Amino acid sequence: MNTQNNCNMHEALMSYLYDESTPDEKLRVETHLTDCGACKQELHAFERVRGMLQQWQFDDSPVVRIVTEQGPGKRSILAVLKELITVTPIWAKALTAVAMAMLVLAVLGTDISVGRGGVSLHADLLRRNRAVEPANAGGQQNPMSSDRASIEQVRAEMKSLVNQLVADSEREQREQIKAELASLQLQLQNAHTADLAKVTSRIQEQQTRLKTIERDIDRREGLDLTDILFSEVSKPAERSTAGGD
Amino acid sequence: MELSDTQIIERTLGGEPDAFNMLVRRWERQIYGLTLRMLGRDEEAKDATQETFLSAYRNLPKFRGEAKFSSWIYRIALNICNTKLRSRSKFAVSLDEQREVSGFELAADLEDLGSEIQREQITRHVRRALQGLPFEMRQVIIMKEYEGLKFSEIAEVLGIPLSTVKTRMYTGLSELRKRLEHLREAM
Repeated sequence: MNTQNNCNMHEALMSYLYDESTPDEKLRVETHLTDCGACKQELHAFERVRGMLQQWQFDDSPVVRIVTEQGPGKRSILAVLKELITVTPIWAKALTAVAMAMLVLAVLGTDISVGRGGVSLHADLLRRNRAVEPANAGGQQNPMSSDRASIEQVRAEMKSLVNQLVADSEREQREQIKAELASLQLQLQNAHTADLAKVTSRIQEQQTRLKTIERDIDRREGLDLTDILFSEVSKPAERSTAGGD
Repeated sequence: MELSDTQIIERTLGGEPDAFNMLVRRWERQIYGLTLRMLGRDEEAKDATQETFLSAYRNLPKFRGEAKFSSWIYRIALNICNTKLRSRSKFAVSLDEQREVSGFELAADLEDLGSEIQREQITRHVRRALQGLPFEMRQVIIMKEYEGLKFSEIAEVLGIPLSTVKTRMYTGLSELRKRLEHLREAM
């Protein structure tokens, strides 16, 4: 029987030890083990080592949470804009559209007239007639003046409407943020309570283990020198006494 | 129905970053086990676990899906462990290790240990024996013995040939055998 482990069966032994051999390989290893004492001995030793390794278990586990304030990796500006448009509420979109339209109209110098004849629009891109208007204004009662007053009124109404919408949106946002904060606070409290319960339970477990260990130590320390020295001597005497009875 | 790792990754990348926490919950124990056994120190292992998931999250867009998510995250964890081990001072000994050294020899000679104490002692010996192994062998043994990976999976994680994995495993077990053989009686 071979006693030196120079069989070059290392890889096959590993597969066999962890039950990953192919049927052919398994047969080859088993046949080899019947002839090779060194490999057989080594295999048994490895099995013992595996048994020892398995003694190292753990019952603790970390609580890992990834706070996902922004998505993984870097995002493009386009993606950010897209997300912004997606999350914007419909009323905010409408408000933005109205504001944009007003801005465009203002830039184009558009006059909106609301009169008896209905609503009329006048776009004056270069504002060429503006300089002439004041000169005519001082003479006779301008028929356009009533229209202008109504335009001012409409402007004022629109301004107040926009202001009101802005105020409403701000209020809604504030309320939304407040609600989110409250929800986050609640979540945090829940997490805190759960963690606390976990810690308490672990402390109790550790205390129980500590008590077990302490009891064991006490048991061993309880044996005084006399017990240790005479324990072996006293046993035969006890046995003989017991035999005598 | 439980989502697969790949489905969770797709959701995360598709605009549901919170979905990543499902992966964290699924893999944190394994990663903690790996880092704890690689580093041998609890607090350091917890930090390494946190860093592993943070790194995975940040690099998720780079995950191609060619390998399994588990292989990818194990590789990240091992890299972090390697960095931590290299940055350790050779002379720095943790309080745990100091305690182990003080009670080590005495306990090894005691007979009739209570089973709890005996288990603790063997664990300490095993931990020290593993810590004494070179990094390459240790990572293979830990992935095989504690994480239950197949040899082919370990080869995938480490990007090395299958035969190299088995050779490292064999050499590592032989080393452990030398270091732990004296505990044979206690088993």
